[in-house]
Formats: sequence, structure tokens, C-alpha cells
Amino acid sequence: MTTTIQASARPGLAGRARVSAVHGFPALLSLVALVVIFGISVVNQPGILSVSGLTLMLMSAVPLVFAAQAQMLIMSVGDIDLGIGALIGLVTVIAATLLAESPLLGWGLLVAIVGVYALLGLIVQKRGVPSIIITLGMSFVWIGLGLQILPTPGGATPDWLTAIGRWRPDSVPAPLVFIVVATLIGWYLARQSRIGSRMRALGSSAPTLQKAGWSLAGTRVTAYVLAAVLIVVSGLLLASQTRSGDINSASNFTLMTIAAVILGGGTFSGGRALPIGATLGAVTLGLITVLLSLMSLSSSLQSAAQGIIVLAVLAGRIITERFTR
Amino acid sequence: MSATLSTAPLTSPDASPRRRRLSWPAWGWSLIGVLAVWALIVVVRPGAPFDPLAQALTLAPFLVLVALGQMLVITLGPGNIDVSVGTIISMASYVSVAVGAAAGPTAGVLAAVGAGIAAAVCSVIAILLLRVPPIIATLATSLIVSSATLLLADASRHSADAGLRAFVNAKILGVPLIALLVLAVTIVVALMLRHTRFGLSIIAVGQSARAAERAGIKVWAITALAYLLCGAFAGLAGGLLAAFISPSTVLGTSYMLDSIAVVVIGGTLISGGRAVAAGAWTGALFFVLLSGLLNLVGWSIGAQNILKGVLVVAVVVVSAAATGTGRSSLARLRDTLQIRNKNKETTHG
Repeated sequence: MTTTIQASARPGLAGRARVSAVHGFPALLSLVALVVIFGISVVNQPGILSVSGLTLMLMSAVPLVFAAQAQMLIMSVGDIDLGIGALIGLVTVIAATLLAESPLLGWGLLVAIVGVYALLGLIVQKRGVPSIIITLGMSFVWIGLGLQILPTPGGATPDWLTAIGRWRPDSVPAPLVFIVVATLIGWYLARQSRIGSRMRALGSSAPTLQKAGWSLAGTRVTAYVLAAVLIVVSGLLLASQTRSGDINSASNFTLMTIAAVILGGGTFSGGRALPIGATLGAVTLGLITVLLSLMSLSSSLQSAAQGIIVLAVLAGRIITERFTR
Repeated sequence: MSATLSTAPLTSPDASPRRRRLSWPAWGWSLIGVLAVWALIVVVRPGAPFDPLAQALTLAPFLVLVALGQMLVITLGPGNIDVSVGTIISMASYVSVAVGAAAGPTAGVLAAVGAGIAAAVCSVIAILLLRVPPIIATLATSLIVSSATLLLADASRHSADAGLRAFVNAKILGVPLIALLVLAVTIVVALMLRHTRFGLSIIAVGQSARAAERAGIKVWAITALAYLLCGAFAGLAGGLLAAFISPSTVLGTSYMLDSIAVVVIGGTLISGGRAVAAGAWTGALFFVLLSGLLNLVGWSIGAQNILKGVLVVAVVVVSAAATGTGRSSLARLRDTLQIRNKNKETTHG
């Protein structure tokens, strides 16, 4: 372990592989769960094993993966965003109304959302306010805005957005492409770029980052802005699939994204950003939803099943951690 | 770098030797808010100035009950919050009506309390045994509870017992009976926090869980009890609301954020360690009067949501600087203004 780090400042792929083999791949549990759920789904519905079958199955996971990457960035600085589901709903509302009718105003609003997130990051850093309460309060502002713009679900997305949702290559399932792109973006931002290591430093040891001469406020604001951009993308992709706007369309994303990050090996205390794990976690949770509907579970029981599965997987992670240590 | 400049003066000793002015209660600001909103309502609709207050007193007690439970949980310290209270209220309303139809209204309300406690048990197991952070644990619980609510809603075709309905709407000298009862509950909770072992333990855990543990307090037991009480209060509120309004799957939805907002506005520290039971009343009255005012002026639900959210954020941001618990809020406000001025000087200079 120490020799790997001493050998070079940045351990190579082989070194990383060795380290993760010794310490256990953090997202291993999620990977196992993913394989199991996929296996059950295939047994239930063999038609899944085709490009169109996989497209249908993975489609709902695409916005969730982007949202999970956003949540991962926020959690890497030690915060939690509880407004993510409401905000994605608002983005679908904007996409289905203003973006089609007056594109300038629509894009202006989306940029304003990113600006608000920058402000939230600044407030959390400067005033020491818990991010949970601030984002919970903001979620009501998002819902209120969404209800003002579009009181009942409806509207129509602009043509270019619908075209993105309709894109179906023959050789690979389209959702898989989006999922890989989201993971690459998250991986670059959190693991490759300098700002990514600064964000993780802020989460794990803020005084050290400050002594190194970096601005804490600047780092947190950057994390929030990058997350906001990913949230907007997630909302646009969700709108491209549903082709309409609904403020409540993503209300379960808040819990799902947090669970996805934790499932993928992340922590609540910050300092850790695992983009591949977050993606695996998000896809697992998305597939659970699909599986529950494949098994024709009564719709009133689905949210309970989701809650129980999330708790079970989180419990499983703690048990496996206890065994590996 | 600029963060050091802004946080340093907060702890600097030059602010401490000041004359002691009138000691301002933590719920003082929300009382001013209540009076201001009341005055606005009277301005908008002159005549019968006590009507809006009497109306608010019929609705506020339910919010106060939920907020008292939420306050106990929030006082446990950072990260402790119960976001399942809203769904628990909805579920408890169905339980109250269904059991009430079969075994009488008292049994119905008791069953509603039991249902709230059962939901809280689920959260407590997740928090203590599975070590899931409270916010996720209670979110997961609220998912499970909302499924239970849907199942109960499908099965139940009862309406609330006439006796319970009369009890919830009863008035003594113009004051709702339920308001007086909830006032008594508030006093009990306030005394419990100040004088009993359990109450003091909650505050101790909130100030420092590690220190509390070293002092021999069973932190897990205190945590469990606080969440169970919160669930019981939410269940009681739901059981009574079933008779006051009627059971519905969205009956409690607004209570989730409202209860947190009421607790924060009432002066309880969001970071834990200080509970202000009286603040539950001033905060709840402020909220109920405010939505009455907004309905009077004709704001839509969307706009009301926006205002509520902004209000919560603003109160949290303003009160965040006020973590020095011993000093008066006025002094704190003056300090923050001074800090702001100093910051301006440093950024301009």
C-alpha cells in the first residue's frame, strides 16, 4: 500500500487495482445487487436481453444517474441536497412550458437556478448553516415555482429535446450511452480535475485545504454549481423521456440519489466521491423500480418496497464493512 | 480565505464584555411575527379583530403537537430530524377513524398514537441498529408509512365519530378546548425538558453526544425515546385531525416542513442542544396566521409554498449567527451587523 503511493504521486491503474483488491471494491455490494436484480428480471422477462429490451429497462435510470452524480459532488464536500427531486421536477416543468414557448426566458431560468445554487453554497460556507435545512426549504420554493408555472402536469417539450429522447441507435441501447457519459463526466469532475480533489479535501479536512491556500467558499460554490448543472441536465433528460412537465415527477429522486451514492460506497461525512459506485447504485435502484412493476406488485405497495430495499441494502453495506475490517 | 475573516470576529473576545440588556426570550422574534401578521390581517379585513386569532387557535394546536415532537428530535443534535411526521399524520388519521368505528373514539385516538409509535420504531431500528443517518431512516420510514396509508385508504370507508368531532370542536369561553389541552401538554414538555432526567439528557446529548456518553447517559436510549415521542405526537395529531378535518392521504403532507419551520422560527437551535417549548406556540400561530393572511389576500398555493420556503431559509440563515446561546438576540443582531460592516471594510480596503 505505502510502496504504491511512494512509487509515484498518482498511482497508476495497476496500483489502484491492487489497492482496491486489498481494501475491497467499495461498490462491490451494489454490483452484486445489480447482477442479482438483473438476473431476476431476465428470468421473469427473457425479452430484456435485446437492444430494445435493455433500452426500455435502463431508460428510467438515465436521469437518476445524472442526479446521482450531482448528489455525489454535493456529498463529497460533506453536504446533502434534499431539494434535488423538487428541482428536477421544476426543470421538467420549465422544459415543457417556457423552453418551448420562449426559449430565452426558459434558458434564463435554468441559468438562474445554477446561480441560486452558487448562492446556496456560499450561504452554507459563510454562515455555517446545515445544508439539509437550506435545501429542504428551497425544495418548497422549487415546488411553489413549479405549481405557479404549471399547476397540473402537461405541456410539451421542444422538438430538439424530444429528438434526444427518441434517439435509438441500433447497435447499443441509447440509455447505456447516456449512463456512460454521465459516469465519465462525474469521474472527470470528481477524480481527475483539480477542483475535484479540492472538493474532496473540503469534505475530509477543510482546515488543511485552507492552509494550502485555497478558498473554502470558492470550492464549495464550485461544487454546488457543477451539481446544479448536472441536475438541470437530469431534468432535461427526464422531460425528453416523458415529453411533458410535472413538478412531482421526480419527488422520489431525493431519497434515491442519496441512497445511490451511499450504495456506491460514498459516505455522509464527505471527502469521498466514487462516480462509478454512484452510477452502479443509481442503476441498481432504477432497476428495482422496473423489477417491482414487472412483478406486478400493487402500486400502493411499491413505495414501501422501495423503502425496505433501500434500508436493506444500506444495512447490507454496514454488515459487509464490518466483515472486511 | 475570506471565510476566516468572517468567522473570526464571532468568537473574538471584544464582543463579550457588554452591559446586560433586557433578556430577550428565544421565542420573542416569533411573537413579534405573530403580532405583525395579526395586525396586517386586521388592516386587510377590519372589524372583529379577535376573529382571526380565535380561528388560528383552532388550527394551531395540531401543528404545535407535531412541532413539540420534532423539537425533541432536532434538539438531539446535528443530523437528527424526523421527516416522516407528515406521512405518519395521514396514516394515523385512517387508523383513528377505522379503530374508532369499531371500538369507540378513545380507542381510535389511542390506536393512532400507537400507529405513530410503530412507525417511529421502524425509524429507531434503522438509526440505532442499521446505523442509517436519521434523515434517510425517516425518509425510508415515510415511504413505508405512505404505502400503509394507501392500503388503509383503500380499505376504509368510515368517517370520524360524532363524539370525537364534538370534542375537537368544543370551546370554553370562546377558546377551543383542544388549544387548552395542547397548552397543558406544552407546559408538561417544557417542565420535562427543564427538570427531569430525560429532558436534561436530551439537551446534553444535543450539546455533545460524546460528553453525554462519558457522563453516563445512555445516548441510544435517549435517542430512541425522542424519536418514539415524536412519532407518538404525530400520531396523536393525526388521530385528532381525522375528526377535525377528515382522513386523507395528503392530510399531513404540509406538516413535514411546517413542523421543522415552526421549531426553527420558535427559537430552538437547529444544531441541537437548546429546546424552546414556548416557541412551538408562537411559531405555529405565526404560520397559521400567515397562511390565513395569504389566503385572504388571494395568493395561490404555489406562491404560498415559495414564501414558506424562503421564510425557512431566511430564518435559518439569520439565526445561524446566533449560536451564542447565552446572549440576547438583539445583541446578536447588532454583532452580525457589525461583522457585516467590518467585512465590507475589509473587502473594500
